[in-house]
Amino acid sequence: MNLDTFPWLTTVILLPIVAALAIPFIPDKDGKTIRWYALVVGLVDFAILVYAFYTGYDMSNPDLQLVESYSWVSSLDLRWSVGADGLSMPLILLTGFITTLAILASWPVTLKPRLFFFLILAMYGGQIAVFAVQDLLLFFLVWELELIPVYLLLSIWGGKKRLYAATKFILYTAGGSLFILVAALAMAFYGDQVTFDMQTLMAKDYPIKFQLLAYTGFLIAYAVKLPIFPLHTWLPDAHGEATAPVHMLLAGILLKMGGYALIRMNVEMLSDAHVYFAPILVILGVVNIIYAALTSFAQRNLKRKIAYSSISHMGFVLIGIASFTNLGLSGAMLQMVSHGLIGASLFFLVGATYDRTHTLVLDEMGGVGRKMPKIFAMFTACSMASLALPGMSGFIAELMVFVGFATSDAYDTTFKVIVVVLAAVGVILTPIYLLSMLREIFYGPENKELVEHEVLVDAEPREVFIIASLLIPIIGIGFYPKLMTQLYDAKTTQLTAQLEAAYFAVEGRPLTPTAPLESLNFGMLDAPEVGDRS
Amino acid sequence: MELLYQYAWLIPVLPLAGAMLLGVGLISYNKTTNALRQPSAVLIVSLIGAAMVFSFALLWSQLQGHPSYHHYIDWASAGDFHLSMGYTIDHLTALMLVVVTTVAFLVMIYTDGYMAHDPSYVRFYAYLSLFSSSMLGLVVSPNLVQVYVFWELVGMCSYLLIGFWYDRKGAADACQKAFVTNRVGDFGLLLGILALYWATGSFEFEVMGDRLQQLVESGALSAGLAAFFAILVFLGPVAKSAQFPLHVWLPDAMEGPTPISALIHAATMVAAGVFLIARMYPVFEGIPVAMDVIAWTGAATAFLGATIAITQNDIKKGLAFSTMSQLGYMVMAMGVGAYGAGLFHLMTHAYFKAMLFLGSGSVIHGMESVVGHDPVLAQDMRLMGGLRKYMPYTAFTFLIGTLAISGVPPFAGFWSKDEILGSTFAANPILWAIGFLTAGITAFYMFRMYFSTFEGEFRGNDAAIKQQLKNEQLQALGLAFGPGAMNPAELTAESPNEAHNDHDEHHSEVPHESPATMVFPLVALALPSVLVGLVGTPFGNYFEAFIHPPSELVEELPMFGIPEHFEWGEFLTMAGSSVGIGLIGISLAVLMYVTKKIDPGAIARSIQPLYRLSLNKWYIDDIYNTVFVGGVRGLAKQVLEVDVRIVDGLVNLAGFVTLVTGEGLKYLENGKVQFYALIVFGAVLGLVLVSGIT
Repeated sequence: MNLDTFPWLTTVILLPIVAALAIPFIPDKDGKTIRWYALVVGLVDFAILVYAFYTGYDMSNPDLQLVESYSWVSSLDLRWSVGADGLSMPLILLTGFITTLAILASWPVTLKPRLFFFLILAMYGGQIAVFAVQDLLLFFLVWELELIPVYLLLSIWGGKKRLYAATKFILYTAGGSLFILVAALAMAFYGDQVTFDMQTLMAKDYPIKFQLLAYTGFLIAYAVKLPIFPLHTWLPDAHGEATAPVHMLLAGILLKMGGYALIRMNVEMLSDAHVYFAPILVILGVVNIIYAALTSFAQRNLKRKIAYSSISHMGFVLIGIASFTNLGLSGAMLQMVSHGLIGASLFFLVGATYDRTHTLVLDEMGGVGRKMPKIFAMFTACSMASLALPGMSGFIAELMVFVGFATSDAYDTTFKVIVVVLAAVGVILTPIYLLSMLREIFYGPENKELVEHEVLVDAEPREVFIIASLLIPIIGIGFYPKLMTQLYDAKTTQLTAQLEAAYFAVEGRPLTPTAPLESLNFGMLDAPEVGDRS
Repeated sequence: MELLYQYAWLIPVLPLAGAMLLGVGLISYNKTTNALRQPSAVLIVSLIGAAMVFSFALLWSQLQGHPSYHHYIDWASAGDFHLSMGYTIDHLTALMLVVVTTVAFLVMIYTDGYMAHDPSYVRFYAYLSLFSSSMLGLVVSPNLVQVYVFWELVGMCSYLLIGFWYDRKGAADACQKAFVTNRVGDFGLLLGILALYWATGSFEFEVMGDRLQQLVESGALSAGLAAFFAILVFLGPVAKSAQFPLHVWLPDAMEGPTPISALIHAATMVAAGVFLIARMYPVFEGIPVAMDVIAWTGAATAFLGATIAITQNDIKKGLAFSTMSQLGYMVMAMGVGAYGAGLFHLMTHAYFKAMLFLGSGSVIHGMESVVGHDPVLAQDMRLMGGLRKYMPYTAFTFLIGTLAISGVPPFAGFWSKDEILGSTFAANPILWAIGFLTAGITAFYMFRMYFSTFEGEFRGNDAAIKQQLKNEQLQALGLAFGPGAMNPAELTAESPNEAHNDHDEHHSEVPHESPATMVFPLVALALPSVLVGLVGTPFGNYFEAFIHPPSELVEELPMFGIPEHFEWGEFLTMAGSSVGIGLIGISLAVLMYVTKKIDPGAIARSIQPLYRLSLNKWYIDDIYNTVFVGGVRGLAKQVLEVDVRIVDGLVNLAGFVTLVTGEGLKYLENGKVQFYALIVFGAVLGLVLVSGIT
C-alpha cells in the first residue's frame, strides 16, 4: 500500500459511516457494548485523521492537500473530490476531536442506544465531509444529509419541546439550504463550462451583479447556520432541547459549518461581492455580539443562556472575516476553533449539571457548589475561557479580531471607532451574564429544596477527563496561539492577498493605510527582535 | 550574572508550577491533596521563597548598574504582524519583584495560621500561588499586550479569592462586582491599546511614547485625540487601583479572607494601576491633559476614600477605604509628574498596609474565638476595644503601621507622603491642599481605628451591641435587595446557620494572641514599615536615583552626606506642616476615643447630612445600582422580549401562514419531481439571465 496515495480523507469520512451500519448486528446484552464500539471507532478514526495530518499535510503550503478526486456521476460531472487546506484542516481536526469526546459524553444514554450511536457515528463522517468536500454539488448534498441525523437526535432524545425545536431546526436550515442549491447551480452553469468543482468555479470570472446575487444566496443559508441575527431563533430552541452530547456537536461543530462555508464560498469564491458586503457583515457581527449578550443575560434557562452566548461569540467571526486583514481573518478562524472547544465544554457541563439538579431554571438552583466542587471548578474554568480570559484561546482570538479590525484600511476611522467600541461593550457584557450565571448556580447558601430532592454527586472521572481534554487545547492555544494559527497561516495570508486584489478591482484603489503613523515614515511596523537583548 | 537574567522567567513560573500541581491534585485526587495540608503549604511557600531570593539577586544586580535586560519570543503572528511576549528586567521591575515576592512570602506564612481551620486550606494556597505568578508576570511584562494579559489574570485571581467563601452571599456578590467593575476599566484599557497601536504601530511603552509625541508635533494626530487615547488607557488603572468613579468594588472585596485583602487588595494588585501608569509614563508625560486628569482623579479619590473611612465600623472596610485613599495619593503623584515619589509611596504603602491588614486579620482571628465565625460580629470595631492587653504583638505592630500611614517621622509613610505633598505643592497648590487635608483626616481615622480596637475596655461580650449589629445587618440586606425583590427564604435560610455558629464556637470569654506563624509576618513587616522610608529621604534620595522616568537623567548622589543644593528651609516647612496636620488629627482622635472629652456621636448628630453621606459612601453604590445594574437588567429584559415576541414571533407566524397556504396548495401541487425541477431550473435561468443582461 502506498501511503502517499492512500485516500486518507475518504477513509476518515467513510469509516464511521460504514462502522455505523454494522451497529444493528452487534450483540448487545447489557447496553454497554455499543457505546464502547462507538468510542473505539471514534478513536480509531481520530487517530487516522491525526496520522494523515502529520504525514500528509504541509502547514506552509496554502493549497489544497490530501486531495482525492473520483468521478462519481459522470453525466452530472459530479465528482467525489475531497481535500484540505488551511481553512478546512483545523475544523476537520476539531470535528474528530469533539465528536469522539461527544461519544464519551453519551455514556449515560439509555434510550435506544443503538440508534443513538448509529446517528452519532453517521454524523461523524458527515461533518468531516462538509469541511473536506471540494465539489459544490457534493457540498450541498452532505450539508443536507447532515441535517437528518441532527433532526432525529433532537426529536427523539431532546427535552419536552423537542418536536417543535427539531421541526424549527429542519425548516430553518433546509430553507436556508435551498439558497445554496440555487446559487450553486447558477455558478455551475455560468459561462461555457458546466462544473461543480470549487477550484474551477473560483477561477471563473463572474460579473459583479451575478456575484452579488450568489453572495446573497449563500449568505442567507450560512446566516441561518452560523447563526446571524435575525435568523438565529432556531438556535435557542434547538440548543435548549438537545441532550448534552448532541449539544456539544451543535455548538462545537455545526455552527462552525456556517463560518467555514462563509469563508470558503462567499469570501474565497466571490471576493468582489465580499467587498460590497463586508460592511454589512461587520454591522451584523456587532449586532450579534451585543444583542445576544443582552438576551443571554435576561434568559433564565441555563441552556438557552449558553445558546445565546454562542450567538454572541460568533459575532467576532463575522467582524474578523470582514476586516480585510490577515490578522482579522486569522482571528476569525481561531475564534471558530476556540468556540468549538469552549462551547462544547460549557454545554457538556450544563448537561452534567442538569443530570444532577434536573432543572435548567436558574431560580431553582443555588448553592450547589458545596456538594459539587469539581463541577463548580470546571464550570468556572470554562466560563472564564468563554469570557475571553487571557491565557485561554478565546482571548487571543478576540484580540486578533480587534487588532485586525482596528488596523484595517478598508473602513474609515469613524466607522471603525464605532464598531470597535460597540464590540468592546461585549467585553463588559460577557462576564456579566456568565458570572451571574455561575453565581446563581453555585454560589450562596444551599438551596434547601434542591438539596433535599436531588442527589448532588460530584463529577465522576469520565466527566473530569472530558473537560480536561477540552481545557488542555484551550489553555495550550491561549498560552501559545501559534500552535493553532500556524496551521492556516499560509492560507489566510493567501486569502488576504486575494481580498486586497479584489478590493483594488472593485474600489479602484488599493487598500491605503489610514493610520497617522504612515505620514511619519517610520518604515515597517517593527516587532522587537526575538531573543535576548540587554 | 547573565545566567541570572537568562533564568529570570522562573520567577513567575515557579509559583505557577506550584499552583498547577495543587490544582491538578485537587481535581483528580481531592481527598489525598486536601489531606496533605502542611506539605502543600511548605511547597508553595518555598517556591515563592525561591522567587523572592531570585528577585533580591536581580535587584542587587540592578543596583550595581547592570543594564536592563529584555527577552522576547514570537508569540502570535499572522502574515507580517508579530506579537512578542517575554520579560524585561529593569530598575522598576526589580523593585516591584522584590515588593511583590516579599509581601507574598510573608502573607503565605501568615495564611497557615489564619486558614488553619478552613477545609479549603489547600485550595487557598493554590489560588495564592496562582495570583503571585500572575502578578509577577505583570511586573516583568515588556509590552502593553502582555500587561493586559496578566492584568486580566490578576483580576481573575482576585475574583476567585474574593469569592473564596462562596457560600456566603456577600462574597458571591462582591466577587462578581469586582470582576465586572474591573472589566469596565479593562474595556477602556483595551480600546486605548487598540487606539495606540493604530496610531503608533507598536505595543512597546517607549516606542509608543516617542511616536505619539512625534505624531502630535507633526500634526498628524491631534493633541485632543492623543489625550483621549491616553485617558482610555488610564481607565484600566482607574478600575484596578480603585480610583473614583470605579472604586466601588474594593470595599466589597473585603469579603475575601484577610490574607488576600493584605496581599491583593492592599499591597500588590491594586498597586498595579500605579505601576501601569509608571510603565506608560513615556506616553502620558507628553500629554498635559492626560496628566491633569490623572492628578485630579487621584486627588478626588484620596479625599473621597478618607472621608468615607472616618465613619466605617468594620475594621477591614475602614482599611479598604484607607487603601483607596492612599492609592489616590500615588495616582496624584504620578499625575503631577512626581514619578519617583509615587512609586516610593507604592513601596512603603505595600509594606505598612500589608502589615495593617494582617494585623486586622489577627484581630479578627482573636475575636472569632469570642463572637464566633460571623464576619458581621468579628470585624466590627464596636465589639472590640482593649485588645492590646490580649494581643500585645498585634497591637504593637498595628500601632507602627498606624504611625507610618499617618505620616509621623521617621516611619516609612512620612518620607513618601511628604515627598508627594512637596512635589504636588510645586505643581498645583489646590491639589496640595486636598492632599494636605486628606493627610489630617487619615491620621484621625487611623488613630480612631487603633484606639477603638486596642485601647479602652473590651466590649466583645456585650449582648446589646451584638443584637444591634445583627439588626443593622438585616436592615442593610433588606435595603440592598430593594423593596419587593427580597427573597425572604434566603434570610431565614441563613439565620439558623449563623445562630448555630454563635453557640457552637464560643470558646472563650477573651480573645487570644494569634499563633507564631501569624505573628512572625507582622513583626517582619514592621521592620520595613519603620525603616524603608530612609532610602528616600530628601537629603539622600537613593530611591529616586534608582527609580526615575526613562526620560529623566538623575544626578549621581554622594554616598554619604547631604547634597549641596538641599534646602532645609523648604523641607522643614513642608514636613512641618504635614506632620502638624497629622498631629491635629491624632489629637482629635485621642480626645474622642481615649479621653472621651468630645462625644463623636454628638458631632455626628450635629452634622447629620454629612455623617450620612460618609456612612453611605456618598451614595455612589446606590446610584450605580439603580442606574447601571438596573439599567442593564431592564435593557436585557426588553431585548429578550423583542427576541421572543417579535423576531421569533415573525418566524412562527410565517410557519403558521405556510401551514395554512400549504393546505391550499395541496390542490395545486401534483407531486411530480419534474415539476419541482422545472421551478428550480427556472429560478436558476432567471438568475443567469438577470446577470447576463446587466
